[in-house]
Amino acid sequence: MRVTLQEDLDQLEASLQEEGELTRRALRGALNALDQQDEELADEVIAFDDEVDACYLRIESGIQSLLARQAPAALDLRTVLAVLHVNLHLERMADYCVTVAKLTKLVAGVPPDQTIVDAFEEMGERAEEMIRVALESFAARDVERAESLVDLDELIDRANRRAVKQVIASGGDEERREWGLRMILVSRCLERIGDHAVDIGEQTAFLVSGEFREFTDASH
Amino acid sequence: MVSRATAQPASEKSTENSMSVDGNSCIEVSDLNLYYGTFRAVADVNMTIPRHKATALIGASGCGKSTFLRSLNRMHELVPGARAEGTVELDGEDVYAPTVDPVAVRRRVGMVFQAPNPFPTMSIYDNVAAGLKLNRSKIKKSDLDDVVERSLRGANLWEEVKDRLGKSGMGLSGGQQQRLCIARAIAVEPEVLLMDEPASALDPISTLAIEDLVQELKQNYTIVIVTHNMQQASRASDITGFFNIDGAGQPGRLIEMDRTDKIFTNPANKATEDYVSGRFG
Repeated sequence: MRVTLQEDLDQLEASLQEEGELTRRALRGALNALDQQDEELADEVIAFDDEVDACYLRIESGIQSLLARQAPAALDLRTVLAVLHVNLHLERMADYCVTVAKLTKLVAGVPPDQTIVDAFEEMGERAEEMIRVALESFAARDVERAESLVDLDELIDRANRRAVKQVIASGGDEERREWGLRMILVSRCLERIGDHAVDIGEQTAFLVSGEFREFTDASH
Repeated sequence: MVSRATAQPASEKSTENSMSVDGNSCIEVSDLNLYYGTFRAVADVNMTIPRHKATALIGASGCGKSTFLRSLNRMHELVPGARAEGTVELDGEDVYAPTVDPVAVRRRVGMVFQAPNPFPTMSIYDNVAAGLKLNRSKIKKSDLDDVVERSLRGANLWEEVKDRLGKSGMGLSGGQQQRLCIARAIAVEPEVLLMDEPASALDPISTLAIEDLVQELKQNYTIVIVTHNMQQASRASDITGFFNIDGAGQPGRLIEMDRTDKIFTNPANKATEDYVSGRFG
């Protein structure tokens, strides 16, 4: 048995789960900062991205070393390739959390439309769940559960469309319209986090089957 | 029933014993069993070897891959007590048919061995010309010169030896000696080149030179290469066949054969998966 290779792979996967946990914390922080209009917390979320980036770089470095030294093949190779992709998806999710935090700061002082903010809380909870499902199904090599991410994503997509309609309907003065514009971007960030979770699910399917396929046609 | 392993993914082609490889097979092996005395070393091999491709045979020691390789040009039977059952068709003709001269088979199916083995008393020139002189009764000196140069160029050795063709082949480095042996093999213009661990005795630079050479040679020859080095198989071959044994005393069998990228990224068989990912033993 290739003990070192297996240990390296185990380490990579453990780091990936850790990165996922960091990303979920970033998301929770961003949602709380938005809900509570907490600029200080938004700053913390922005600074916290360094933690995610460090984890991302650690995983990437580990992959580079493993490829150079262990020359993995077959399932081992697919595992490394999948980890490479998932790593990037998690890092991007965390970047969206930073964007939400920055948007929160930009609208500080403008009274929020609580209906819309509440809708974001619901979207955010779904996004958190999707990150969890994506990483658990990846760890368990559970393709069926990974495919369930499509349905969860559809709920976020619908919420995103509703949020856009609500913002358009809210109208108001220039300050309110600017607030609305920023909130459409927040909604878009949460929706994209869901998309990346689905992408992670597709990596689970690739890892298990060796064939890459998109769960849904992105042109729809 | 023994299923035929070919380079065509199962999903693309269908039934057992009826697959073709890229529409142009060079060697067709059917129900081949190889024996040393009463011991069956290789069992029930069905294989299609595509023309002008590099086919690698991999597997642990004792799995029968070298025995199988030697059966393709009837060198297996040179071992006392060794015999073959089944058919090996080269361009549709069974090389084991009673009317076929094994020497003629070996001219059409050349071989390069693990350790470079130039003729020690011969010059570089004569090493390359030796096969031709043995195979043809009369040949003009100028024609011979042409063949020697063409063969040495074909083996990527010409530039390194053109000024010392009269010197002994033993004065060359190991990698050069192996390329000299390849030049000797292609001088007689075979259709197929069998290579049994051709780089295992060479340093990494010489190994890569041989692997690059395989890529060039396959334009004109069908290459079958046995290697223990899985990275070499993945680098140098288009098709990979995996041989395995169930246990000590059991015959070797062809477990899986497919495009090399498929074998090394997503093999169909668990035993292949374990072997190419080093998870055996």
